[in-house]
Amino acid sequence: MTELLQQLVDGFGRGGIYALIALGIAVIFGVMHLVNFAHGELITVSAYAAYGLFVAGLDWWIIAPAIVLVAGLTSVAIEFVAFRWVRGAPDFTMLMTSFGVHFLVQAAFVMYVSANFRQFPRPGWIFQTWKLGGISLEVFDLLVILLTLLTLGITYWVLQRTMFGMSLRAAAEDFDAARLMGIRSDRIIRGAFALSGLLAGVAAVFWLMRSGQAGPTAGLSPMLKGVLAALIGGLGSLTGAVMGGVILGLAEVLLISRLPESLVGLTDGIVFLLIALLFVFRPQGLVTVRRAERV
Amino acid sequence: MPRRVVDRLVLPLAGSLTTYLVLVGGGIVYATVGNSASDGLVTQMLINAVVVLGMQIYIGNTGVLSFGHIGFGAIAGYAFAIFAISPERKAEQIPDAPFGLAAVDLTPFQSSMVAGLIAVVVAFVIGLGLARSGARSGAVAATVITLALLFVVHEVARNWIDLTRGGKTGLSFSPLGGVTLQGRGWIYLALFLALLSARLFKETSIGRLAQAAREDDLAARSMGIHPALQQMVALLLSVFVVSIGATLRVFELGSINPRLFFFKYTLLTLTMLIVGGRNSVTGCLVGVVIITTGSELTRYLAGPSVDLPFLNWLLRSGLTDVFLGASMLGFMIFRPDGVLGDWEPDHWMARRSVGKFTDQPLEHSPVGGLRPEGLLRATGVVVDFGGFRALNGVDLTASSNEVVGLIGPNGAGKTTLLNTITSLVTPSSGSIHLDENSLDGLPSHLVARAGVVRTFQNLRLFPALSVQENIEVARLAAAGRVVGCSQPDVEFVIRASGLSELRHRRAGELDYGNARRLELARAAAAAPRFLLLDEPTSGMGDLESEQMIHRIRDIAGLVQAGVVVVDHDLNFITGICDRVYVLDQGKVIAEGTPDEVSQNPVVQAAYLGGPIDSST
Amino acid sequence: MLEVESLTTRYGAIAAIREVGLTVRAGEVVCLIGPNGAGKTTLLATVAGLLKASSGKISLDDDDITDWAPDRILRSGLALVPEHRRIFADLTVNENLLVGGVTRTGTRRVELRNQVVDLFPALSSKLQTSAGYLSGGEAQQLAIGRAMMAEPQLLLLDEPTLGLSPKLADVVFDLIGTLRSAGLTLLVVEQSAQRILEVADRGYVLRSGEVVASGLAPDLLARQDLFETYLGRNVDST
Repeated sequence: MTELLQQLVDGFGRGGIYALIALGIAVIFGVMHLVNFAHGELITVSAYAAYGLFVAGLDWWIIAPAIVLVAGLTSVAIEFVAFRWVRGAPDFTMLMTSFGVHFLVQAAFVMYVSANFRQFPRPGWIFQTWKLGGISLEVFDLLVILLTLLTLGITYWVLQRTMFGMSLRAAAEDFDAARLMGIRSDRIIRGAFALSGLLAGVAAVFWLMRSGQAGPTAGLSPMLKGVLAALIGGLGSLTGAVMGGVILGLAEVLLISRLPESLVGLTDGIVFLLIALLFVFRPQGLVTVRRAERV
Repeated sequence: MPRRVVDRLVLPLAGSLTTYLVLVGGGIVYATVGNSASDGLVTQMLINAVVVLGMQIYIGNTGVLSFGHIGFGAIAGYAFAIFAISPERKAEQIPDAPFGLAAVDLTPFQSSMVAGLIAVVVAFVIGLGLARSGARSGAVAATVITLALLFVVHEVARNWIDLTRGGKTGLSFSPLGGVTLQGRGWIYLALFLALLSARLFKETSIGRLAQAAREDDLAARSMGIHPALQQMVALLLSVFVVSIGATLRVFELGSINPRLFFFKYTLLTLTMLIVGGRNSVTGCLVGVVIITTGSELTRYLAGPSVDLPFLNWLLRSGLTDVFLGASMLGFMIFRPDGVLGDWEPDHWMARRSVGKFTDQPLEHSPVGGLRPEGLLRATGVVVDFGGFRALNGVDLTASSNEVVGLIGPNGAGKTTLLNTITSLVTPSSGSIHLDENSLDGLPSHLVARAGVVRTFQNLRLFPALSVQENIEVARLAAAGRVVGCSQPDVEFVIRASGLSELRHRRAGELDYGNARRLELARAAAAAPRFLLLDEPTSGMGDLESEQMIHRIRDIAGLVQAGVVVVDHDLNFITGICDRVYVLDQGKVIAEGTPDEVSQNPVVQAAYLGGPIDSST
Repeated sequence: MLEVESLTTRYGAIAAIREVGLTVRAGEVVCLIGPNGAGKTTLLATVAGLLKASSGKISLDDDDITDWAPDRILRSGLALVPEHRRIFADLTVNENLLVGGVTRTGTRRVELRNQVVDLFPALSSKLQTSAGYLSGGEAQQLAIGRAMMAEPQLLLLDEPTLGLSPKLADVVFDLIGTLRSAGLTLLVVEQSAQRILEVADRGYVLRSGEVVASGLAPDLLARQDLFETYLGRNVDST
């Protein structure tokens, strides 16, 4: 029982990070119908930013907000350089473009930094545990859960209560009608990328505090998890993306704790296998958004 | 020689042979002129060409973006290494290999065949999954499934130490490593066969149907094409070719490790595929040459032999991967169909040859047999979109020897009714019957196979296929299912619709009038029992509409199909229809001959708003 | 106020409208009638900037707005209520209205929202309802109200009675009168030619992408031959 509770906390901690990434992917999909396989590059860039700031002698208290900002700006920059040109292009082109960005950013880091991972110190408190009755909970997990809830709360507020949020939701539902209201397509798409980048930035802070390293492929794993979570949630749906992230996090933790020792190295492989099976049987994800196609 | 054989076999063969000779010849010349490094480069390029051709067969024909092909390559590569490495070497590297594999001793040729077959078996399973997920051009689920395969294979290769010796060292053929593939004979042969497979597959009926679904999934389904079978065949062939390429790669390097077939090789081969043009076999070879040259050039520029101080920031190691990523991105942004699009050298030859064949008059009667009368019935159809009731209890009957019109104001539900009959929209209640058979709940491709074929208001041709291919596809989709008469000959349909001169034009290049003609011809080539036409004259002038009347009547008479036509133009409807239904607000408000209907005050009110006082 | 000169819009190879000319003067209600597929919706969408004109010129007051983006056209005082209303079904009624006022400042937006709700009392009790749950008539009022939030001088209505029962259509025609007396200039596309001509000052008849007749509404109403053209019968044969 206590073990299960610990696993749940662990799972929600992980799932929270996935949810933030997935939500960003879903926001972009909403306005552009693009599945952004380059979303992980925001975390890669953040990782190098964190490494650089450490070398410059800064502390996590400054690095954390800086990372969030860097991720937001990078996201807008990627939109400006690449995705702006393929708006409304066929699905194949948009998918391939996002992979192009993914590969290009990766290659640029290999070229200008190194193919090897750079280590930076993780904050000391992340391994502390907190005893509650018979259960010991990782402080970090609790913090992640708390901050994730806070971030999701703020995002929810932005989407529901601000003019920007309403415009974004309107544009996600009917882009042309939104343009008729005077919403500028450039601005709203850039705004979506900024929001999505900031969310990825928050996720990056947690991810990097745990991993403590920067490398050209640092963003690959979080990107895949995020895309998978967004797909589990049915892509169009923002709530679905958050749910997808939590489901994926819980599934992973429960899976790892139950796998025999010899298969632990294969965890990611098994998760992918399960996800692949999910898409075989539910290609639209678990949360289905029905949209009629005009013929 | 029959024109079809020339178009589909002789010219593609000639074109492929030319491409092959140019590529291999160029490679040999370069290898001879250059140093030993250029020899190795040519070898690698030709091997990559085999792999890329294999990927083209699937990605090009189906439009499904697969990231898994290099995963299949990894499976084949490992299988090949495990079978072909001598038992003595295996005893050193993987003494505990399961299934007694440590003792197996096969020749390289046998090994590569077995490796290919193993990969094909895995591909079959994956293919079933892809089909279940509804793979089509640009489908995200399919991309994720194939990406998962790439990762899973990589993880297994890294972790199944007994079989693969893990990630760090990998397996090797000789203690010293190095080249084991003596000479390039096998590569020449494999490349030749891969090129022929890819090029001829494009012309097979299976390839053609897959391309139709790639071009327009919805239109393909409405013609009765369910592309799962075609996609599966494309996948298996494609994986086999990729596997052969992968075994050659392993054999040439003399070793294999998990990194050899992972993201980096995926990036390289995918870039080659899309830069040249994924829909063209020649194009993907052009891509191989461009990317190989470009990579070598960047490698040289980034190497020690070039020293340009002011460019030091750019010319450094790693430039090659940046070049690959930038090529992929740049082509997607500026030229998403690649250098060649879907062009093949034989297209050029075929277009030139159009004038040389004189059209022989057709001797035999185009369609034989008399079809029994058929009946298409919709009863009590109700369709709701959210809270909006688009159709509210519509009954419609059409016989196969009449032309039935469907008119009504905008938003009356005419197109929705066609969509319901062809199963693109699921009704809340009501049913559709063809003769005595219920069509309820059938997916749209089965409705089409039952004999109900439609056209679309906004023209859904297969734009990258030629006029002739569009018609062939429709005929193929219906082959073997036409009851009561023979299928009309493709040649005859082309001539009857006046498209003879344009047969090799891409459908996407046609002007509007010809595109409409082609859509009608394509529907007729399927020899349906019922032809449903959605606004066949929209955007046409009066004269063109007039001609359309005759054309529809001719072509429906030819295949003895009943016609249900939606149109807004009363002139046209009066001219063509035997009977007319008037829809308003989702209900049939009148039915009768065109004259009866247009005199009906209720109809006039629906169209004009309020009764017309005849005195004004 | 609005001047359209020899405007052509193509979808690929199809010219949906050809060389169309049209004028709307301040304070007028002008209607655009014609059979389905005549190009009415295309014309409005081109004027509002959603579709690109292939050739021709559109001017609003003194500005050449031919290649402007929709938001810029809106800011210059021209709003379009699109065909099928296209309200944001996932947003509440209140949010729909606020999004309609996205070009206005915060306080003005709330004022406008209150004015619109006064104008359409049916919406007042449903402000927090998701717009997807509105009935057809309410949805049409919301669509018009949402466009009013931008304080346009010229309002383009595309088939405002589409899918509405005759009784609700009456409400819409009354509404057109209300809007006009509120000082708005209107260009209305309508299926019910008879009814809209009774309300409008002038009309244009479109057929197959071309203007085939135009004139004062009473004159057009009196021309039986036009109605027959409209129904599709050949004018010469009658």
